[in-house]
Amino acid sequence: MSAALLEEFGRGDARAREESWRYSKMALRSLAQQDFVAADPQAELPEALRARFDWRETRGRRVVLVNGVVSGRYSDFDDVGAMVTVGETGGAYAVRIDGKVDEPVHIVYVGVPSTQPSRWQADTSMVVVNGFARMIEQHLGVDGAGVLGSVHRRIDLGEGARLDLMSLCDLPESVALYRLLEVRLGAKAALHATHVLLGGRLQRLDMQVELAGEQARLESRGVFALRGRAHADTQLDVRHVARDTVCDIVWRGVADERARGIFHGAITVAAGADGSDAKLSNKNLLLSSSAEIDTQPVLEIYADEVKAAHGATVGQIDERALFYLRSRGIPLVEARRMMVTAFCREVLDGVADADLRERLARRMQAALPADGLQDA
Amino acid sequence: MLKIENLHVRVAGKEILKGLSLEVKAGEVHAIMGPNGAGKSTLGNVLAGREGYEVTQGSVVYEGRNLLELEPEERAAEGVFLAFQYPVEIPGVNNTYFLRTALNAQRKHRGEAELDSMQFLKRVREKLAVLHLKDELLHRAVNEGFSGGEKKRNEIFQMALLEPKLAILDETDSGLDIDALKMVADGVNAMRSPGRAFVVVTHYQRLLDYIVPDFVHVLADGVIVESGDASLAQKLEEHGYAWIAERKLAGAA
Repeated sequence: MSAALLEEFGRGDARAREESWRYSKMALRSLAQQDFVAADPQAELPEALRARFDWRETRGRRVVLVNGVVSGRYSDFDDVGAMVTVGETGGAYAVRIDGKVDEPVHIVYVGVPSTQPSRWQADTSMVVVNGFARMIEQHLGVDGAGVLGSVHRRIDLGEGARLDLMSLCDLPESVALYRLLEVRLGAKAALHATHVLLGGRLQRLDMQVELAGEQARLESRGVFALRGRAHADTQLDVRHVARDTVCDIVWRGVADERARGIFHGAITVAAGADGSDAKLSNKNLLLSSSAEIDTQPVLEIYADEVKAAHGATVGQIDERALFYLRSRGIPLVEARRMMVTAFCREVLDGVADADLRERLARRMQAALPADGLQDA
Repeated sequence: MLKIENLHVRVAGKEILKGLSLEVKAGEVHAIMGPNGAGKSTLGNVLAGREGYEVTQGSVVYEGRNLLELEPEERAAEGVFLAFQYPVEIPGVNNTYFLRTALNAQRKHRGEAELDSMQFLKRVREKLAVLHLKDELLHRAVNEGFSGGEKKRNEIFQMALLEPKLAILDETDSGLDIDALKMVADGVNAMRSPGRAFVVVTHYQRLLDYIVPDFVHVLADGVIVESGDASLAQKLEEHGYAWIAERKLAGAA
């Protein structure tokens, strides 16, 4: 079963798959020991969970997938014209955007457990042909017998197209999720993606970006904030294929208690992609001696006149700053929270929408350190 | 208000304070002077509750309670304030947010109502004016990009805002030009009151021209070797710390 999961969730040849799952092998193996039944797309969503995605600002533009299938019952989608198409049930796509869409489309994936461990899969695609689109993606789960979900998404940005993607993956420790995001950017296309990863028994994000057209641009911001026994594994793979392409990657990681975080950021500048500019910065904060973070930036350059910079660090909270806050009367838990939020802030600064940024900051703040969750 | 008796403190295995005793009553201003390495900063850090300072002997009683038992944030809420010698820069933490969180955490601890943002800002404006600090500093991260003088004035501004009962100033004068020194002194003098005490730790007598203390103590090698009134600071200025060391030797002989 472990081999089968690897086959399903891996890429490249057997060795490359092994390698990319190096730090998450045990977590994957423990998943593989379970027998999964098919998850029920008609499952009921608890009221408390619905409140977590029922955002006022996205009413009328929200698509909810329950265990991988678009739910007519929980989605709230007005007809916004031919530019946005919503898949009916379990089709090859959830949402398709063609053209310019000003208001964000909110896509919610919920993994709902059955009486025994269950699995769901969603194969969704989105194409932005022209213009500008904003998308909010939210992954949620319900605690229980365990759910393993997988989402495969392809995004194709045509010439000059721009997508702002905001992704919040916020899972209980009984839920595992594999996400493969494949993006292809045409000439002068731009993707600004912000990923927030919280919780999860095993959550893995494979993000593969091909800067295929000249002057294509990727800005990737992301953070994992983990505690308990949460395990998050992020694998970025960015390929500069065309000339004058830009990637700018800033990721942060925080792990408390017995959590485990992995960041692998690979940038390849292919032969001929001259004039490219690649930047990667990854900083991590360990809040407990039982937590672990592994980071690995990899830069491979085969072109000329390339600007490239990358750096990765793992450190601990600044005790001097912590004492300073406490000496002014701020309790330890709150002081730690302020420091951690500050550490992650740079990542959220790129989210243009202030309400959304505030939601994310609050959610992240509540997730760390351990002292009770609040709903976003 | 504060009674320190026979305090022995170890830092990284080395004994720094070696039997320090000091009593501070409400309304008094005490200056602690002494050469580098005498243990002046250790005293401030121990009183504020910094980790890594091991009390091996002695006691510190503040307002009838064992101060050493309290967490740093509890000490602050009970009215103890340390103006840092080296204020820490905290990138990403907004200064206003920090101050409001601190003030309201203290008020909550004391069972007082928290201030809303209007009340808070009103109070902030009043205190900023006294220290000639620019509004703009409030919008930055805590101490980030502040000049040396701005950092020190920001410490006194925080003190003015938090209104502690016992304020310990750890070499607040170091690195200040004469104008900034006067602003700091004005800030402190404006707060002198019968219910509040100050412990002013300094290397130089200069600050004490502006903040005139009720008592001056000379700290050398972990103990107070000489106590007197404000004129003691003058004598130190004239004769230097060597004079004290000689007197101490003479006394021992």
